[in-house]
Amino acid sequence: MNYHLLIPEMCLAGTAIAVILLDLVIARKGILQMASIAALIAAIVVSAALWGKADPDIFNGLLRADQFAIFFKVLFSGAAILVLLTTKDYVSKIARFQGEYYALILLSVVGMMLMAASRDLITIYVSLELTSISLYALVGFLKDPKSSEAGLKYLLLGAVASAILLYGMALIFGITGETRLAEIAAAVPAGRIWDNPLLLLGVMFMIGGFGFKIATVPFQMWVPDVYEGAPTTVTAYLSVASKAAGFAVILRVFLEAFGGDILPDWAMIFAVLGAISMTVGNVIAISQTNVKRMLGYSSIAQAGYLMVGLAAATRVDGANDPVLFGPTGLVFFLGCYALANLGAFIAIIAITNKTKSDAIDDFAGMGSRAPVISLALTLCLISLTGVPPTAGFLAKLYLFNAAVHHDLVWMVIVGVINSAISAYYYLRVVKMTWFGTPASAEGVPSSLALRLALAVACAGVLALFFYPSPLLDVARDAAQSVAGAVLP
Amino acid sequence: MLADYGLLALFIIVAILFATMLPLVALALRLAGIGAKRKPNPHKDTTYECGVQPVGKAWVQFNFRYYFYALVFVVLDVLTIFLYPWATDVKGLAEFGLAAVAVFVAIVCTAYVYAWRKGLLEWK
Amino acid sequence: MSLDVAFWILAALCVGTALAVIFAKDIFHAALFLIVCFFGVAGIYVTLNADFLAAVQVLVYIGAVSVLLIFGIMLTRDPSKGSPAGKLRLPAIVVALALMGVMIGSMITFDWQTTADTSKMVSTEEIAGLLFDENGYVMTFEIAGLMLLAAIVGAIVLVRKE
Repeated sequence: MNYHLLIPEMCLAGTAIAVILLDLVIARKGILQMASIAALIAAIVVSAALWGKADPDIFNGLLRADQFAIFFKVLFSGAAILVLLTTKDYVSKIARFQGEYYALILLSVVGMMLMAASRDLITIYVSLELTSISLYALVGFLKDPKSSEAGLKYLLLGAVASAILLYGMALIFGITGETRLAEIAAAVPAGRIWDNPLLLLGVMFMIGGFGFKIATVPFQMWVPDVYEGAPTTVTAYLSVASKAAGFAVILRVFLEAFGGDILPDWAMIFAVLGAISMTVGNVIAISQTNVKRMLGYSSIAQAGYLMVGLAAATRVDGANDPVLFGPTGLVFFLGCYALANLGAFIAIIAITNKTKSDAIDDFAGMGSRAPVISLALTLCLISLTGVPPTAGFLAKLYLFNAAVHHDLVWMVIVGVINSAISAYYYLRVVKMTWFGTPASAEGVPSSLALRLALAVACAGVLALFFYPSPLLDVARDAAQSVAGAVLP
Repeated sequence: MLADYGLLALFIIVAILFATMLPLVALALRLAGIGAKRKPNPHKDTTYECGVQPVGKAWVQFNFRYYFYALVFVVLDVLTIFLYPWATDVKGLAEFGLAAVAVFVAIVCTAYVYAWRKGLLEWK
Repeated sequence: MSLDVAFWILAALCVGTALAVIFAKDIFHAALFLIVCFFGVAGIYVTLNADFLAAVQVLVYIGAVSVLLIFGIMLTRDPSKGSPAGKLRLPAIVVALALMGVMIGSMITFDWQTTADTSKMVSTEEIAGLLFDENGYVMTFEIAGLMLLAAIVGAIVLVRKE
């Protein structure tokens, strides 16, 4: 048995339990933060060491620690580390429940890791619930009216989404008689999806359930309120890790289980949803005055761009490695998006901690009050827009290139128009930061840990523009490991 | 198999009879009321004509402390549910099954220890 | 034959009480109807020889979930007024009916693989074999444990003050 493949998960789950128990006896909570970060670093190191091992199956294929899963394990752990590093600046608001905060973050990371590795519907569902339950509690963590409302909304809508997902899974199980993805693939009836209404219904329900996680239209209505009400650290985590976990599980399920005749059909559904998502997210983001809400709508739009990668998962006859452009681009985009979005949120945490306000207007003149943080914020927002010299530019280029290869030129046009729209609201924040009149001359204090996290994110955003090939290779291997079996 | 216990069907019959009796009783009381003369007075209208005077509304808002107990109970319930299939075949599942259950119980017990140390099980 | 009769009685019970849950004015009555509905579902599981599932249904749903549900209602201030009339009632009815039509339609048209062979029914021992086996779902089982842990910790964090 390959139990060593589970070391990252076991390490994090063990640390989470230890943190919960230690929290009862230890007075200095800083130790718990250190332990959590150390466990996450250990998980990254072990995961990286497991890269490309010959026999990645665990529990007879229930889980698989292939390159795809390992990429996401590192992504989730990395995001959690950056979020935990910023927690010190946010800690006064959660001081009474620090131990629980770290434990819940760790448990949600475990859930997401298992989501990315699962190849079985039941396991996917249980892992998803582990993630969701931890996140429900984290969203309501501040316990002020706004945070509680956000937590309640997230819980109720999340429960509905889970129910829809479960119904979809039940239908798929009813049709195929299997829960393992590989066996579902063999048992899915031949022919297009439109010939089989029940299959269509099952697939649609599953898209609905997972669509909630990635926050695509029409399952996006929770995003603005939850992003606004949740603690900003949790918002950052939610917008990156939770979304990435959703995409990981979608790629895994749809490529492994539905990679047969129906692949072009669901790809088209994702194409349409993606185009709507981009447009809705970007257009509504323009009118936002709260920076967290704005980034919420922006994350809906980013989910739309990411779905170009799902839409471009179809086979193209005659191309060199036909199925891989889309998934590779998606994985690469997720890496770039994670860095840029986390960087933006970390800068926002530092600034809003000082101003005690999430309003975009209160960012006025931050360029003179906190030049370094403002510069970092600017860089990350430029990356989210997709303008050089940032990783976001290459990521979009790669995804749109994939779309062109798959005859999805219309999606590229929609995407480019949307990028132009998004420039308006991203750059408005930048303009406010540098050219607004500062409310006071006071600087913005930040801890060493926060500055470190911000530096890592910004360095990544820049480095991936000038030297993207390592991550591109990783993304290609990851996509190959999950989509390889689908290749004709 | 449970379905083989056909005698259980007797209970279903009882249940059906019970269900049909309820509206019949209501109907009988209603019929009796038609011919009766009505002479209401404040004494008669009280809930207990010759008993303690009821105070307040029938609806009371529960102390939310009860909710913790309910929650802890649900978790215990789920724990039991998982132990049940294990108990049906302890020998066949051997050491691996025992280890799996031990890990599971340890994880859930962490939650109980946490709840206990946080003073959740005390009534204050 | 007798199983068929039992099924139809139970099915009528389930559908009837489910409708009562929706239309009951008093939310407390709705909760009680829901419990009867759970019982009906447990009965259907028995007719399908799914003993374990029936036991789970009774112990968890009727024994625990409904207790939580009723506590939740008892914690609220004045539930007897029922839910306020929303403007979305009509659209909700239309959408729900349309969804029901689509689901029934697609289920009827699907060519289901059925069997009358009762030896294919799964006993509790076999479920145990799946749940606690290395090649089965033992990992899923442990994840469920972590989920319970997260639920308890999360719930305590959200409600406790200190």
